[in-house]
Amino acid sequence: MSKWKPLEKMKILGKKYPRIDGAEKVTGRARYTYDQFKEGMLYGAILGSRYPAAKIVKIDDSMVWSLPGVKAVLTDVHPTGRVRYVGEEIAAVAATTPEILGEALRLFRVEYEKLPFTLYLEEAMKDEAPRVFPRRSNVNKPRIREEGNVEQGFAQAEVVLEDTFRTQVQIQTPLESHGSMVYWDGDELIIYDSTQAVHGVREGIAKMLDMPLHKVRVICHHMGGGFGSKLQPGIYTVIAARLAKQANAPVRLMLDRQLEFLTTGNRPDSLSRIKMGAKRDGTITAFFAKTYGTAGIGNGAGVRLPIVYSIPNVRHEHHDVYTNAGAARPFRAPGCPQASFAMEQMMDEMAEKLGMDPLQFRLKNDSNPTRQKEWMIGAERFGWHRRKVTPASDPGPIKRGMGLGASIWWPGGRGTKASMKIYSDGSVEVFCGTQDLGTGTRTHIAAVAAEELGLELKQIKVHIGDSNYPRSGASGGSTTSPSVAPAIKNTAEKARQELGKILAEHWNVSPEAIIFSDGYVIASGEAKQRLSWKEACGLLETDVLEVHGEWSEGLSSSGVAGCQFAEVEVDTDTGKIRVLRIVAVADCGLILDRLTTESQVNGGIIQGISYALFEERLFDPQTGAMVNPNFETYKIVGTMETPEIEVILFDEPERGVIGIGEPPTIPTSGAIANAVYNAIGVRIKSLPMTPDKVLQALANQKA
Amino acid sequence: MYNFEYLNPTSLEEVSEVLAHSDGETVLLAGGTDLLDRLKEHLLRPRQVVNLKNVRELYTIERNEGLTIGALVTIADLAADAYIQENYPALSQAARSIATPQIRNMGTVGGNLAQRPRCWYFRGVEYRCLKKGGRKCYAVEGLNKYHAIMGGGPCYIVHPSDLAPVLIAYGARVTISGANGTREIPLEQFFQLPAKDLKKENVLNENEMITRITLPPQPENTYSLYLKFKELESHDFAVVSVAVVLHTRKKRITDASLVLGGVAPIPWKIPEAGALLKGKELTEPAIQAVAEQSVKGSDPLPQNGYKVHLTRNLVRRALTEIQQQL
Amino acid sequence: MSEKKNNKVKGITRRDFLKGLGSGAIGSAILTGGGLIPAESKAELLGPGAEKIHGTQKIELLINGKKERLTVEPRTTLLTAIRDKLHLTGTKEVCDRGQCGACTVLIDEKPMLACMMLAVDVRGKAITTVEGLSGSGKLTPVQEAFVEKDALMCGFCTPGFVMAATALLKKNPDPSLEEIKQGLAGNLCRCGTYPKVFEAVKAAAAKMRKGVAHE
Ligand SMILES: Cc1cc2nc3c(=O)[nH]c(=O)nc-3n(C[C@@H](O)[C@@H](O)[C@H](O)COP(=O)(O)OP(=O)(O)OC[C@H]3O[C@@H](n4cnc5c(N)ncnc54)[C@H](O)[C@@H]3O)c2cc1C
Ligand code: FES
Ligand code: FES
Repeated sequence: MSKWKPLEKMKILGKKYPRIDGAEKVTGRARYTYDQFKEGMLYGAILGSRYPAAKIVKIDDSMVWSLPGVKAVLTDVHPTGRVRYVGEEIAAVAATTPEILGEALRLFRVEYEKLPFTLYLEEAMKDEAPRVFPRRSNVNKPRIREEGNVEQGFAQAEVVLEDTFRTQVQIQTPLESHGSMVYWDGDELIIYDSTQAVHGVREGIAKMLDMPLHKVRVICHHMGGGFGSKLQPGIYTVIAARLAKQANAPVRLMLDRQLEFLTTGNRPDSLSRIKMGAKRDGTITAFFAKTYGTAGIGNGAGVRLPIVYSIPNVRHEHHDVYTNAGAARPFRAPGCPQASFAMEQMMDEMAEKLGMDPLQFRLKNDSNPTRQKEWMIGAERFGWHRRKVTPASDPGPIKRGMGLGASIWWPGGRGTKASMKIYSDGSVEVFCGTQDLGTGTRTHIAAVAAEELGLELKQIKVHIGDSNYPRSGASGGSTTSPSVAPAIKNTAEKARQELGKILAEHWNVSPEAIIFSDGYVIASGEAKQRLSWKEACGLLETDVLEVHGEWSEGLSSSGVAGCQFAEVEVDTDTGKIRVLRIVAVADCGLILDRLTTESQVNGGIIQGISYALFEERLFDPQTGAMVNPNFETYKIVGTMETPEIEVILFDEPERGVIGIGEPPTIPTSGAIANAVYNAIGVRIKSLPMTPDKVLQALANQKA
Repeated sequence: MYNFEYLNPTSLEEVSEVLAHSDGETVLLAGGTDLLDRLKEHLLRPRQVVNLKNVRELYTIERNEGLTIGALVTIADLAADAYIQENYPALSQAARSIATPQIRNMGTVGGNLAQRPRCWYFRGVEYRCLKKGGRKCYAVEGLNKYHAIMGGGPCYIVHPSDLAPVLIAYGARVTISGANGTREIPLEQFFQLPAKDLKKENVLNENEMITRITLPPQPENTYSLYLKFKELESHDFAVVSVAVVLHTRKKRITDASLVLGGVAPIPWKIPEAGALLKGKELTEPAIQAVAEQSVKGSDPLPQNGYKVHLTRNLVRRALTEIQQQL
Repeated sequence: MSEKKNNKVKGITRRDFLKGLGSGAIGSAILTGGGLIPAESKAELLGPGAEKIHGTQKIELLINGKKERLTVEPRTTLLTAIRDKLHLTGTKEVCDRGQCGACTVLIDEKPMLACMMLAVDVRGKAITTVEGLSGSGKLTPVQEAFVEKDALMCGFCTPGFVMAATALLKKNPDPSLEEIKQGLAGNLCRCGTYPKVFEAVKAAAAKMRKGVAHE
């Protein structure tokens, strides 16, 4: 079984180094899908349904065709003609310029038969609500999870608390929208796609178009963010391919921001009714939750309660609820921020009731040994002891408070394959069909390969983002690093051994005596031979040494802990919450690159703040349209909302590589909510915690 | 965006010629930060777009007994002007609170005053609301968290301009020129409620334009302040904003002007503020009285009652800040 | 502008229109820097009577120090012109509504949004895109600092940030953290790189001040 060498012996991994494609990105040379261009390329766009529930009676495209510059039109895009949300794809067009395209979209004449619809969770749960699917109830059968015996658990409890929490729908809205640039090369289809899964998209599209896999190629050199929303093949890719065929020209179809908001996934909302019991000594004995969430017309609105803490008796019933909205897709730590917002507040409420410090209460109910250490490190650095015991005790209208919350994550990753070529001039290429979402995968691959071969990062040419390369899974679920890094390590190790054999023969020593270090190949022991990497590669008889390798057990692991501390300021005159400071202890295993790791943690926290305070999909109840499908009214954190963030990387290299992308976004909203309570003495139990809700809560408290 | 004919006059004279021939399908283009947004949303289909940016006369900030600001002066230049910072500080504050550095470099004073509302129903092409010739105001039964708490009906937009409340508080006048001549009116009278005319927010006619704003000189011991509450500090329109200008002599208020932004379809003047404060010192009870007065008669929609609290609190805060300078 | 297809608007001059505008005022007035204020010679170039553009038009834009000829319509935005006609794709299209800063370019050294201006409006202006920041092919101090500090993840917002930061440091060579935040408040990043962006701008400022001191 392959093993990582000890951290002290590593020259690159575990250190700080800038990403290898940084220069390309800061100069604008990096070409994303949105930037692809081919001679004769047309611009494609999708017409989305105007109504949240309707039968398409007729689509008249004659006016569209009458516009000069229109080259292809599709009116049979929808499989059944029965639409279930605003924005659902019903027609498409390709034209010679973006301007003509915009005009063309407005020339479709669509006849709809409007049907009743339902938009919001609570409303859709009512018996009389219109059904999203005629033959199915909006409220799905419950999924039940049971451990221990909750009745007994509550019987043991000395304090029982009940409360209800509500979270909103959040949209991934990566800055590069979803889309593809496609062209046909004979009967082969070449797709540039903004995707988290080049192989997955190839398989999906081949199936949808009924084509053999080898006739479809998917490429994604750079991509502008996905956060889980780009894990699957897109209907837009199929549409682009059909438009391209019809017009016999390349087509680039990137969704506009409005369709991006409506059709490319979201984090489901949640309604959590929780009952929790504990003993006076602070042991939680029982937990019961009934939760609901809507993933629109899709499923997967689960709420991962009780998320972090170890409770012997748990019962959780969850119902997915259908609404007339675009289907949810994975979004950074699916099911977790919702759960954490509710659970961390529940924990604080219970701690208060028991007269315990919230941190002590958590230590008592957290069985994870790593997190036990992390809680202490974080509390120390944050200055938890300065937290005021009595909420709302600051004088004046602006009040400060502190709160905390815990991170968790489960899966590791497996299955990646890779190949490497070493040329007789010393150049090295690595090929792997993974992709870099901005997490730094390209750089990590170079780092692992360079570490193994005793080279520098810049000596490794990394090729990723192409379905022609060895298979790697989708980049989601924080699985990429734990899946890719071992594969690269094994491939490089194999290459090293092959090259080592040649040198051993050359020097007439045993292969075990060959060492690769600092750009040299050395025969250790008596032989005292040494060649530069380049000279060594010169011994390759064939001009290229090619090896294949894959993921193996023992280099990565699953199970991630972590915790966060938040300090906020609440203006009780305006209801505005400002996050002042976050201290995060991030659980890292073996760190590949400290810089990109810190960046990932920052990103998770900032998205968490955004979720806590600003973001929310808003549907107009009269039309079912989203009123805020833009960055003016769908508000996300900007520079001025970014607090001081301190990231403490807690590394345990012996655990190997673990995923770090999702856990840091989980506890932020709960930690902030607890800090808000500590500041003003009222709980905000619904996300986002906007000024109107804070003012309302303060007014209720006075009354 | 539909195509249009682009006209590029280089003098006011040429603009006047163009406007004289306009047929109701001509729109003016200044910085474009509002107009392009609406063109892209297909909210209008003008035959002609008249670029004003090459009209040099409109770029001046002129000191006279007061101040004259050309319509094409950018928000950034307004914010950076040292004389304005010194003599009309609330105007600088308002300018700095607008949008983003990039947009402040592009957007103009004239465009800021003539910009159209941000109401999400008005901006969405899918809603045929009253303003667009439809039959209902969607905000009434829809999502109205940012809508008017005063002066609304039958349409409940709020006026988005940050400059307007301050300019009105300073007693600004606006010069409007058109094919039929030039008129100068108090800026306060420039804006009009939906009850008067649903289709537009001001008295500009099709073939007219704003050429400049004139500010009267402010007496010694004038205190002024613009407080803007936005949800996102990075850039956001005002949820509520407060412009205050107080003239004082020996700590006593000789004249007071209070104008609210973000609460009504027009910049909302609280005329009683003058009467409540005139001749008085700025004491706690006086501040409280003005704060209460500022929300009297407010009539919130189901989701924007919080704006009443917010307005009251912001007025109190603004006056308290001035009190500390006095 | 050298294109002479321009029609002129004919018609009577409305003297009334100018009444009360105080033609003398201009002499004593301070001409502000202006956003897209016309170049001194512009009026002459255009001659009397308003220029009129209809349909498609060949224009010339001064981009990154080079004269580029291209065909546009009046409605063509600067963003479409540089991305789709000139294939300078460093400037990104994200919101297309002025809300995100991804399309930031410098117009006569000031940061502005290419998505919210018409290509025909910026004839005669010096337009700088991210591709034109360093003539030499070497990274500028701002770009260098962005790489070193990891002020980018997916990188889609990065060119916009680099442009805004470059403009900020030109105006204010030693910005405080608060001033950096304000200077970049028009740029959104969905990956959440802000803390590293602040670090990078600080580092670039220090580097540039040192560079100046050495000269
Ligand atoms: C992201 C974003 C954020 C914003 N934030 C704010 C904010 O916080 N506060 C705020 O106040 N505004 C804000 N704005 C609105 C912004 O567009 C205005 O502030 C800007 O000043 C408009 O000026 P402009 O020159 O760009 O107008 P344009 O778009 O050129 O014109 C706007 C309208 O006014 C008309 N017009 C222009 N000039 C004249 C004139 N001289 N005479 C008559 N009519 C004229 C045009 O025909 C058009 O209908 C924001 C805009 C965006 C895109
Ligand atoms: S694309 Fe221009 S500001 Fe967003
Ligand atoms: S780095 Fe991805 S959006 Fe900023």
